[in-house]
Amino acid sequence: MRAVENALGITIPDNARIIRNLISGIQYVQDHVIHFYHLHALDWVDVVSALKADPNKTAALAQSLSDWPNATPSYFKTVQGKVKTLVESGQLGIFANGYWGHPAYKLPPEANLMAVAHYLEALDWQRDVIRMHALLGAKNPHPQTFLVGGMSVPVDPNSQNALNAGSLALLQSLSKKALEFVQKVYIPDLLAVASFYKEWASIGGGVGNYLSYGEFPNDNLSNTKNCWLPAGFIRNKNLSKVEPVDHMKVTEDAAHAWYKYSDGDDKAKHPWVGETVPNYTGPKPPYEFLDTNKKYSWVKGIRYDGLSTEVGPLSRMLIAYASGHKRVKEVIDGVLKKLGVGPEALFSTLGRTAARGVETLVTAEMLSVWVGELAAKMKSGDLRIHNGEKWDPSTWPREAKGYGFHEAPRGSLCHWVVIQDGKVANYQCVVPGGWNSSPRDAKGQRGPYEEALVNTPLADPNRPLEVLRTIHSFDPCMACAIHVVDPERKELFKVRAL
Amino acid sequence: MPKIAIDPITRIEGHLRIEAQVEGGKIKDAWSAGTMWRGIELIVRNRDPREVWAFLSRI
Repeated sequence: MRAVENALGITIPDNARIIRNLISGIQYVQDHVIHFYHLHALDWVDVVSALKADPNKTAALAQSLSDWPNATPSYFKTVQGKVKTLVESGQLGIFANGYWGHPAYKLPPEANLMAVAHYLEALDWQRDVIRMHALLGAKNPHPQTFLVGGMSVPVDPNSQNALNAGSLALLQSLSKKALEFVQKVYIPDLLAVASFYKEWASIGGGVGNYLSYGEFPNDNLSNTKNCWLPAGFIRNKNLSKVEPVDHMKVTEDAAHAWYKYSDGDDKAKHPWVGETVPNYTGPKPPYEFLDTNKKYSWVKGIRYDGLSTEVGPLSRMLIAYASGHKRVKEVIDGVLKKLGVGPEALFSTLGRTAARGVETLVTAEMLSVWVGELAAKMKSGDLRIHNGEKWDPSTWPREAKGYGFHEAPRGSLCHWVVIQDGKVANYQCVVPGGWNSSPRDAKGQRGPYEEALVNTPLADPNRPLEVLRTIHSFDPCMACAIHVVDPERKELFKVRAL
Repeated sequence: MPKIAIDPITRIEGHLRIEAQVEGGKIKDAWSAGTMWRGIELIVRNRDPREVWAFLSRI
């Protein structure tokens, strides 16, 4: 969308910008909470241990952390009963295939029970608050109301067929509900869990280069530099200097990726001249191991200024923190103080997980602000939602090139487009998962996941829970099958992991 | 010194595989492999630029 708007020089109206901010904003909040409770928490929380918890002590623990109302002994007793029924049935359902009882689990039974209760509550909460996304985007996921030049959802406080005063009231109440859960449940849980796993503040750091394109624009230009969360690049963990972002420094090579470049696979190419010609040279499945000296991935070697670079909430929060973003700085300093660690602790698996929580809180706080902006615009009589000046292809130049930045919940995303004679001539997408999971490049530099895993301790190599902690901290939404094999390549066992 | 392979790690954009070399209770080296072809760039070629967002936002 932004790539095409940028290529054609289209500026969108205020209402469209604010609605886009709200759609992205609630997506951050819902995605991050789901990630924490449903994809990541069970790397730290032992569900089976929750059976040993004393509901009275669990209630006392929960009440000491927050004034969230679901914190009575009878409430936790009920949750414990549900877990007990599951475990005794031998069919763990959503909790099946975990590494329960693994020595790397450190939480006391009461903290485990509290986290399991909130895991279940978060399921209900997310279903409700994501209605914001459906109201503005027509559905979730994959909103339908985007349009080159703006949005296709009409705004009019007095119309039954548009986003009206009633919709604004509903958006405001859902914003409140979203923020309350983050403040009273997610953040206290995150801090409580983190305090038992402080050693993870020095594990899983990774490449130390961080990128953000900036998001939540304050003006209507495509790829503006005026964003609520700033753009920037941090090199080698140096928080004293945030470099400006230049999209021309983004390159992809195919040294270890299954593609063929017309002028050599080792060449680092900018996406405008990018090529997408598949060239699978790996083993025929089923196989045990890839030949990692050669090509071994469908992800290209994505680099910024030649460097392997991490994207995502940690990158955004570090860049905001180092740029002096007032609210982000306040919240991060508060978290660091509470955990008794310094800013260097952020360069870690725990830092990645904590930064996601910080981002959720500050973004949830902004939801009602953006709803207020939309209400003020509508009240002022400005109901423009789409700029159609360049809708007709006869208004376009013969050739146009553009790029569109977006900070998705999981990180930096940019699309590059080349338009010729009214059609797309070339298109390249460089997505967050690509940055973080990228393989080695022509120089042999490891990608962010690869680097983050080096030196990770494994208490039990047969059950590599610690690998999941670091990989999940990047938020790649996974349900994986794990095979551990001895040097003679004999399969020792096979397990499925959450 | 076991070598571990975690495969697949599924995700919205596709699938992921991790291989790791383990030595002395620690990971010595690791490799990350995307195991699925995406190719959506090829789908949008020669299409009207006003409609490609609807394909691309599915990534």
